[in-house]
Amino acid sequence: MKITGAQAVIQSLINEKVEVIFGYPGGANMPIYDALYDYQNKIRHVLVRHEQGAAHAAEGYARVSEKVGVCFATSGPGATNLVTGIADAMMDSVPLVCITGQVPVSVVGTDAFQETDVIGITTSITKWNYQITSAQEIADVFAKAFYIARTGRPGPVVIDITKNAQFEEVDFSYPKNFSLKKYQELNKFNQEKIEKAADIINQSKRPLIIAGHGVIISLAQNELLKLAEKANLPIAVTLHGLSTIPVNHPLYVGMVGMHGNYAVNKLTNQADLIIGVGMRFDDRVTGVLSKYAPKAKVIHIDIDEAEIDKNVKTTVSLVGDAKEVLISLLPHIKKNSHKDWFFEFEKLGKGEKRFHQKREEKFKDKITMDKVFEILSKKTNGKAIIVADVGQNQMFAAKYYQYKIFNSYITSGGLGTMGFALPASIGVQLAKPTDLVIASCGDGGLQMTIQELGTIMQEKLPIKILLLNNSYLGMVRQWQDLFFDKRYSFTYMENPDFLKIASGYGIKGKRVNDFSQLEKSLEEFINEKSAYLLEVIVEKEHNVFPMVPQGAAVDEVRLE
Amino acid sequence: MIKTVQYNIVCENKPGVLYRVANILLKRKINIETLTAHPVDSKKISTINFTTNIEESKIDTIAKQIKKIIEVIDVNYLVIS
Repeated sequence: MKITGAQAVIQSLINEKVEVIFGYPGGANMPIYDALYDYQNKIRHVLVRHEQGAAHAAEGYARVSEKVGVCFATSGPGATNLVTGIADAMMDSVPLVCITGQVPVSVVGTDAFQETDVIGITTSITKWNYQITSAQEIADVFAKAFYIARTGRPGPVVIDITKNAQFEEVDFSYPKNFSLKKYQELNKFNQEKIEKAADIINQSKRPLIIAGHGVIISLAQNELLKLAEKANLPIAVTLHGLSTIPVNHPLYVGMVGMHGNYAVNKLTNQADLIIGVGMRFDDRVTGVLSKYAPKAKVIHIDIDEAEIDKNVKTTVSLVGDAKEVLISLLPHIKKNSHKDWFFEFEKLGKGEKRFHQKREEKFKDKITMDKVFEILSKKTNGKAIIVADVGQNQMFAAKYYQYKIFNSYITSGGLGTMGFALPASIGVQLAKPTDLVIASCGDGGLQMTIQELGTIMQEKLPIKILLLNNSYLGMVRQWQDLFFDKRYSFTYMENPDFLKIASGYGIKGKRVNDFSQLEKSLEEFINEKSAYLLEVIVEKEHNVFPMVPQGAAVDEVRLE
Repeated sequence: MIKTVQYNIVCENKPGVLYRVANILLKRKINIETLTAHPVDSKKISTINFTTNIEESKIDTIAKQIKKIIEVIDVNYLVIS
């Protein structure tokens, strides 16, 4: 039986077991939306308020559901509005399939109304992209797109479908078990390499594991723990590796990088072995490369061969899925103990705590972001999913919330997209309907995608929005404070009445600016059944420490 | 040290592959000195050859990045000078 191309699109999504689509209709994707009208019982469509929100919501959904996030947008501005979200997904290895409408093939290339070169624009920010100009192509291209998005190192795929292809009729049959040969060649570790890596681990006196996002994507957390426990290896995490293992695990030593723990940054340069698992030695992790881990051999486990030796030269590289590599490695690892080495982490960690207390004395009885997350952490027992925006709130959320459940810190790490949290929390809440989902935002970031309050209202999602308002673009102000002689160039922000805005969307809220009220307000916030905005007025000039200044070595980490 | 390198790419003969290769180079501000591309055998496969002057430490990274392009089957390079 023949169906239209638009129906073939929906059938393809059903074949891929897609349950949620985030999108926005427009001229060039109307046939697809018309076909979707008949399948509302099978697929939930979430109407966002801006296409960037669709991409971030799809990212949030994909990050916690182990599924591919799907979004729809029309041609021209619809497609270009997706771009920030697609770039974000590319940087953070998030599987997305973005389906954009396009003008009919007969007018492609004529600067037709709402025509834009989506393939050209998205080439450098997608894992793969393809323009469908005939309905015949739809089934095969969709199967390929979903396969590419979710396998290997996951990433975003764009499918641009011309309007004529949506109208054309086609005999539909969906390919079964699609696969690509090049992906079966991904695991490039052999017995020899495994044994060499194991030898280095067994001989190491001062080893340090750095676990990244790849551990979460590959669901390798148990294998990582088994290996670390057997050889008694300290585990540090990257920003995206947070919540890989519970923070109260005895082997956990903290976060690496620009705002990572003091001890971890200092001791990175004393380690004789760095084991990077599912991470990419990003510049925010390494500081200046020429002074990074000078005494260490490096074992790098990653599924993306192009990450090997890109920034840090490896002693042994194990290219493959983190879980499979760790499983192969485990039998060769000998029981070991690194008591003295752990003691150094403990000693420096205590020093950091003491210093923190001293530094924060002047903020006693004032509301600062660290206290907000400390209290929130206690009140939720570390079991909420925190979707953090970008900037100071992101770093305080990373450092002061005690993550106890797996994959519960979702943020924009690679691209650092302000405005990520609110729409991403929509996807997270849809994938985890019974979990407590908290969107942590600054006053700057919230206003970049604030229109998604409308989506939260329409979808009746119980998202808790934690607005940390210091009337500044806090992280930029911090840099101006530390590196630009306190010249606060255009970082002060005159803000609207956020509670009135929330109220306009039917979302309850409260403002708190007195420290004595903070605990009670946070309690109300997490116990509220529906969406809620808690605006916390925080100290204006309060900085995140420790900090590795840009261009400095990790062991030049500053405590103030 | 800057080296002159010839890259040889075997790929599916489809639109956009050369664009992706060029993008990888552009992102790192690497200039193409010579370039040829032609189909082989059944015309389903194509080869792209280009030479470039490139920082020695980047040579292998570029090959790995090109290899990630879905339509690329194989990449080799030859350091000419």
